[in-house]
Order: sequence, then C-alpha cells, then structure tokens
Amino acid sequence: MLSKPTTPQVLLDCRRELLETIDPAVSDPNVKIAIQMLENVLRNCAERSAHEIAWMREESDLMVAFARDVKSTVGSTPEIDAALTAYEKGDNTTLHLDAVSDSYSRAGECLSVAMEKVFAAGHTELHLRGRDILALRLVHEDAIKGDWAFVGRG
Amino acid sequence: MIDPSVMPAKLAAFLSAHGGQKATVTAYEPMSGGYSRLMAKAAVTWADGRSEHLVLRGDPPPGKAMMETDRATEWALLSALGRADSIPMPTARYFDATGDELGTKCIVLDFVEGRSLQSHINECEPGDYGRHTFDLVDTMARVHSIDPNDVGDAIARPNDWSTYLSGLIDRFRQADRAHAESNPFLRYVAEWLDANKPAPLPLRIVHSDFQPANIMVAADGSHQVIDWELTHIGDPREDLGYYAVYSASSGPSLIMNDPMAFLARYREKTGFGEDTVNLATLGFFSSLAAISVYAQILAGAAAMSNGLNSGIMTTYTLNALTVGHANFMGGCVAPSI
Repeated sequence: MLSKPTTPQVLLDCRRELLETIDPAVSDPNVKIAIQMLENVLRNCAERSAHEIAWMREESDLMVAFARDVKSTVGSTPEIDAALTAYEKGDNTTLHLDAVSDSYSRAGECLSVAMEKVFAAGHTELHLRGRDILALRLVHEDAIKGDWAFVGRG
Repeated sequence: MIDPSVMPAKLAAFLSAHGGQKATVTAYEPMSGGYSRLMAKAAVTWADGRSEHLVLRGDPPPGKAMMETDRATEWALLSALGRADSIPMPTARYFDATGDELGTKCIVLDFVEGRSLQSHINECEPGDYGRHTFDLVDTMARVHSIDPNDVGDAIARPNDWSTYLSGLIDRFRQADRAHAESNPFLRYVAEWLDANKPAPLPLRIVHSDFQPANIMVAADGSHQVIDWELTHIGDPREDLGYYAVYSASSGPSLIMNDPMAFLARYREKTGFGEDTVNLATLGFFSSLAAISVYAQILAGAAAMSNGLNSGIMTTYTLNALTVGHANFMGGCVAPSI
C-alpha cells in the first residue's frame, strides 16, 4: 500500500479543497453551514486516523490492569469476572481497526464494572486512579475534537 | 419540507384545508440553525386579506435525524402551554400528524419577529452583557414557575422527586447499554451522582434545551421561548446545569462571569432556597442535566455505527459527546485522600 501521503495528510488536503474551492462557490446559507461541519469532521478524522489504534491500545492496557488490581485489592464481583473473561477470550492482538475497537470496548467494560466496585468499597486511591484513566481518555477525545462549537446556531 | 419548488403549493393546500379560508403562500425558504428538525419560513396571505409569516418545524427523513423526538408529543405540549397562556411563546397553529400533506410530520407555528438572544449576546463586549444576564435568568425562572397542571397529560408526570432523580441518573447506564460500545464515562458518572444526591425541589416543567439560541427577543426586549421538543417534568435545576455546560462550550456564558449573582437572582425569582440552589447543586446538575440531549446524540452515533443512520449532523455532533464527557467529569468532584 501507499503509506505516504498519510491518511491525515489526505484528509487535510480534502479539507483544504473544501474550504478554498467549494466553499467560495456556494451561496446557500444551509450548504455553507454543512461545509463548516464537513471541515470540522475532516479535521477530526485526520487527527483520529493518526492516533486511534495506539490510543485505544494504550487505554485498553490501563483499563484491564486497573480491573485486575481492583479485583486483587478490594475483591471481585461476578461482573468484574465476566468482563475480564470476555476481554481475555477476545482478540486483543490484531491491529485491524474493527478488532482494536472491539477489544477497546471490552476493556471499557472492565473499567466500568471495576469502578462500580470501587464506589461500593469506598476506596479513594483506586477511585482516583480510575479517574486518571478516564482523564487520559478525555485528553485523547479532546485532541480529536480540537476547536469546536455549534456552527449555525443563533 | 425543504424543497421550495413544491412546498408553497403543498403548504397553501394544507393551510386552506385547516385554516378555514383560502391561503396563498407568497414566499418559502428553508431556515438554518435548527439542529434536530427541519425548519422553514413561509409568507402567507389569507383570503380575508391578512398576511403573516409562519414557521414550519418538521421531522427529517428517516435515518437522517441526529435525534428522535415525537412531533405529536411536542404538538400536544405546545397546544397545552398555549391554551393555558403559561409563558410567552410562538403559538402552535396547525399540525400535520401523518406527514401526508406536508411531506413529513410537521408543526406550523407563528413566526416571531426579532432575533435570538444568542445573536444579541454575540454582539456584546466579552463580560459586558448588560440586562441580558438577568433577563435570561428571569425567563428560566418563568419556565420553572409554570404550573405543571398547565400541560395536563401532554407529557409524563413522575410520581415523586426521589424516584424521578434515580431514574434520570439511571439513564446514564441505559445510554451505555444501548450504545455500540462500552462507555466508561457513563457508568462512572451514574455511580458518582447516585452517591451525591442533593436535597429535593418540587417537580416542575424543564425545557431541557434552555439556551439563548432558543430564546427570541422582541423589539421591547421581551422573551419568547422556542424549541420545546425535549421538555419534560423534572427537577428545575436540570435547566440550570444544562445552561452552564452548554454555554461553557457554546458561549458566551452568562453564568460563568458571576455564578453567585446568577444563582441569587434565580432564587429570588423562583423562591427556592440556598440549601437547594447553590454552586454544589449547580455542579451536580451540570453533570446530570445534559444526559437527555447527550443520550439522543449517542443514540444517533449508535445508529450510524449499526448502519441505520447517516448525515453530517450525526458525525458533526459526535464532538458534542466529548464536550459532554468533559462536563460530566467536571461536575463529579474527585474525592480527597
């Protein structure tokens, strides 16, 4: 396959074409708003395509390790056991996007059920560690979002 | 509904059939700014010589809506609020309940002359919003002062605050279960909210999308509230929290300049006490309140993931989910060691 230009470069070039060629030729205000939205989505996709597999893998490792530590520190629940089993039985090595996304979802369930146990146990240190994982997830989401506000409202 | 080549004739036939006299549509144009529904503005002349502008508010084609709400419920609510003269708002005039006449289920309302409050505050110098801040608070308080009996059975009435709030919090878990992938933010926030419930308030009308783009300002400065599609009976602080988080991402924010003054004015106008309306409850409801809109957007994302939805509005508003996650977490204060 051709890896250069990269997917982000291709998407950002589409965005440039949209803004420099198509937008000036459009006068309909509704289409203008759609173009602003498309511009934003292309920026989102460029950033996402550059990092999403690495970010999902990084977060998945943290979420599953956290669930295992919750289990060993404050005890397990049937939900934690089920989530960890589902994660471990799944494909967590393939790097095709669909497989990584599925694995990420299973890891997310591990974090969710582990946090529910942490709340029930009132374990502050694990609570803060769980929040740190969510904070990292939010950092990644924010990087994808970039500058954003509702266009066309008001 | 957005095709100006066919809609004038369709609308004229519809209005003539339901308006009691022949109507002629002299102009018709789609309106921008509506995110969830199709909007259009029409100039109408009636047989008796009266002329007026009307607004059409209809459902997008199947699979193209960023959120699914029920026009029949909205029509029943708007009609009830109008009959009770509950609050200044555009009169809901006609309803195509099947879409057979206007091409989609569609409510026809009076057009409001003037601009939205959002467009007014966009023109203000940052931090200098004059009367707009207290006008916004007063309008919110007015919504929350509506007697829930005004709406009859147009919308569901919860049995009690405690059951209602628990159900609202559980919507985070329901949204997670219904989505195409696990979303740990939702389950975390649900646990946090369950553990930190505030003192109750009487259940009231909650607009659910209370923000300046949904307030029209007349020449005399008076307000009319529009876009009631997510309205329900619930805790009035949901609108306070929603406005706080909405305006943080789509400002300028009229609350963040001086939240204490904002809340004091709200308490003064509603009669609610400082034990129930304060910075802590604002934080709680900032996390909680956006779930109605958030869950709708997430459902659109799930539908797209499952091949059941498409359109720029769905992909564009994925970013609103990230904004939601930030707001959810911002309102859920971390424990201290």
